[in-house]
Amino acid sequence: MLAYVVRRLLLMFPILLGLSLLVFLFVRALPGGPAIALLGERANDQSIEQINEALGLDQPVHVQYGRYLKNVASGDLGASVRTRQPVTDELARRFPATVELSIAAMFFAILLGIPLGFIAAKRYGGILDNASLVASLIGVSIPVFFLALLLKYLFAVKLGWLPTIGRLSLTEQLDHPTNFYIVDAIVTGNWSALRDALEHLVLPAIALGTIPLAIVARITRAATLDVLSEDYVRTARAKGLDPRVVDRRHVLKNAMLPVVTVIGLQTGLLLTGAVLTETVFAWPGLGTLVLDAIRFRDYAVLQGGILFFAVVFVVVNLLVDISYAFLNPRIRYR
Amino acid sequence: MSITEAEAAQLSFERPSGLWADAWDRFKRNPAALVGIVLIVVFILAAIFAAQIAPFEPNEQAGPLATNPAGPGGEHLLGLDMQGRDVFTRILFGARLSLLVGLVSVSVGLALGLVLGSLAGYLGGRVDFAIMRVMDLMLSVPGLLLAIALVTVMGRGLISIMLAVGIVQVPTFARLLRGSILGQREADYVLAARSVGVPGRRVLLGHILPNSIAPVIVQATLAMATAIIEVAALSFVGLGPNDPRLPEWGKMLAENANRLQQSVHLVLFPGLAIVFSTLGINLIGDGLREAIDPKLKT
Repeated sequence: MLAYVVRRLLLMFPILLGLSLLVFLFVRALPGGPAIALLGERANDQSIEQINEALGLDQPVHVQYGRYLKNVASGDLGASVRTRQPVTDELARRFPATVELSIAAMFFAILLGIPLGFIAAKRYGGILDNASLVASLIGVSIPVFFLALLLKYLFAVKLGWLPTIGRLSLTEQLDHPTNFYIVDAIVTGNWSALRDALEHLVLPAIALGTIPLAIVARITRAATLDVLSEDYVRTARAKGLDPRVVDRRHVLKNAMLPVVTVIGLQTGLLLTGAVLTETVFAWPGLGTLVLDAIRFRDYAVLQGGILFFAVVFVVVNLLVDISYAFLNPRIRYR
Repeated sequence: MSITEAEAAQLSFERPSGLWADAWDRFKRNPAALVGIVLIVVFILAAIFAAQIAPFEPNEQAGPLATNPAGPGGEHLLGLDMQGRDVFTRILFGARLSLLVGLVSVSVGLALGLVLGSLAGYLGGRVDFAIMRVMDLMLSVPGLLLAIALVTVMGRGLISIMLAVGIVQVPTFARLLRGSILGQREADYVLAARSVGVPGRRVLLGHILPNSIAPVIVQATLAMATAIIEVAALSFVGLGPNDPRLPEWGKMLAENANRLQQSVHLVLFPGLAIVFSTLGINLIGDGLREAIDPKLKT
């Protein structure tokens, strides 16, 4: 097991190296280039040359890539041309927002999806089963941003129950030791800010969590159906075990492996959904950071943001693979 | 005891039904899949006959310019947009665009994925390693982000958007086909074909591929839905087709996203068009999957 984890960690390096090359080439391929982006209308041949020289863009490409790698390895992702802030600072501020949103969305999906799928399987073929199937199919067919807009319209614009933008009302004062607002509020004992932050979190989390909810429910249903027909379940029932104990200990536990797989896969996809959800609710996370970077041709931020996104994605996938082994002793990694 | 030749001639043998006939039989009996077919037929008819059905031209000013355009009612079934264009008409013409985008981008993804996946699966060794590592790399970036990056580089023309969405799907197809081929490569019928001297290329194209293609077809159907949503999503983040006249559903929705309060119909109807078309495709895809592999319950 340990050997497997170590090997997977080592395998991450070629992937990250490949990614850095990909991102490097991507930024070089962008139309315009940083000199023109910086200078805008004032660009002329001489000034472009000066800036390219200052940024080292007059060097051969492999030299540039070498220096870029060295910088990335030492944690220097450059600075935003727009805010003049180091990209790493921007990422540190934005990342917790995306994580907070993703965790809330996943909570919503798991807490509702597993019971829903389980009940549907127990009542196989019944009205509830069919209703949940239809609901989950609609759930996977709704584009995230459309659902987000509908929720915003209904609960924020029409009913006025919940806030529509950002993570916190302007009227709230909150210190940010961690930048996870929920954690910040609890740590500093700021209960009105906690309530406010939670209210801001509800709609984006539901919007982002609906597709995973639909998928988790469907997989739970399918896996439960499979397990329900296993011999050991019949045996457990036959020897007179309390049906609730059979459900919990024999059925649910064994049905969870494919569910965990899917939850893991969905966590990766959440990052994509987050880009769109964050846009609708003006959530200051990684997604809006990258999109703003594209809009303002902020290359350093774009490059750092995409690289960071990918690193998170790769790490999440690794964690998912490792968690299988803990859940299913039958899987032995070598 | 034996039968005479005359008796044997009278015995009729039913031809064993094939994989596809069986699959079609199961598909027909799946109500959800039939609903999907209906949705998609409506969608395709709307696309083909948009010009005949639509009461106006997609870019015709059919009503007054307005900051708060009229909602559904009267001669405008789904209301007007800010430029006074008929929303129903634009949604009909949008079906053309979505159908086109879905077909083209999935074809791109499928074609590249098939070539790479079958090369990797059939040749194995270093070719396999090289191809699959590149696929891993592409999969290590979230799909939409990869599409965003590609469109930023290639520009916001319709062609480059379709290409970008297609390229994002390549690794999925390549992986699927490779896995499927690896499962078939050592099968007895492949060995048999090889041993009678069938050349390698024909073993791959004539024997292995047809037997590995079923999961790929299912995936291609579902990928159509993903492609339609992805193009709409690109529009939503401001990277949609740059021609303002194109009635792309995602763009129609995005342009009015911050005007929910005043004119919700401008967001609602294009959104519903996306939902129903992708729902139809997903229903068909699920039906196909169950029909082709009845053991799968997901």
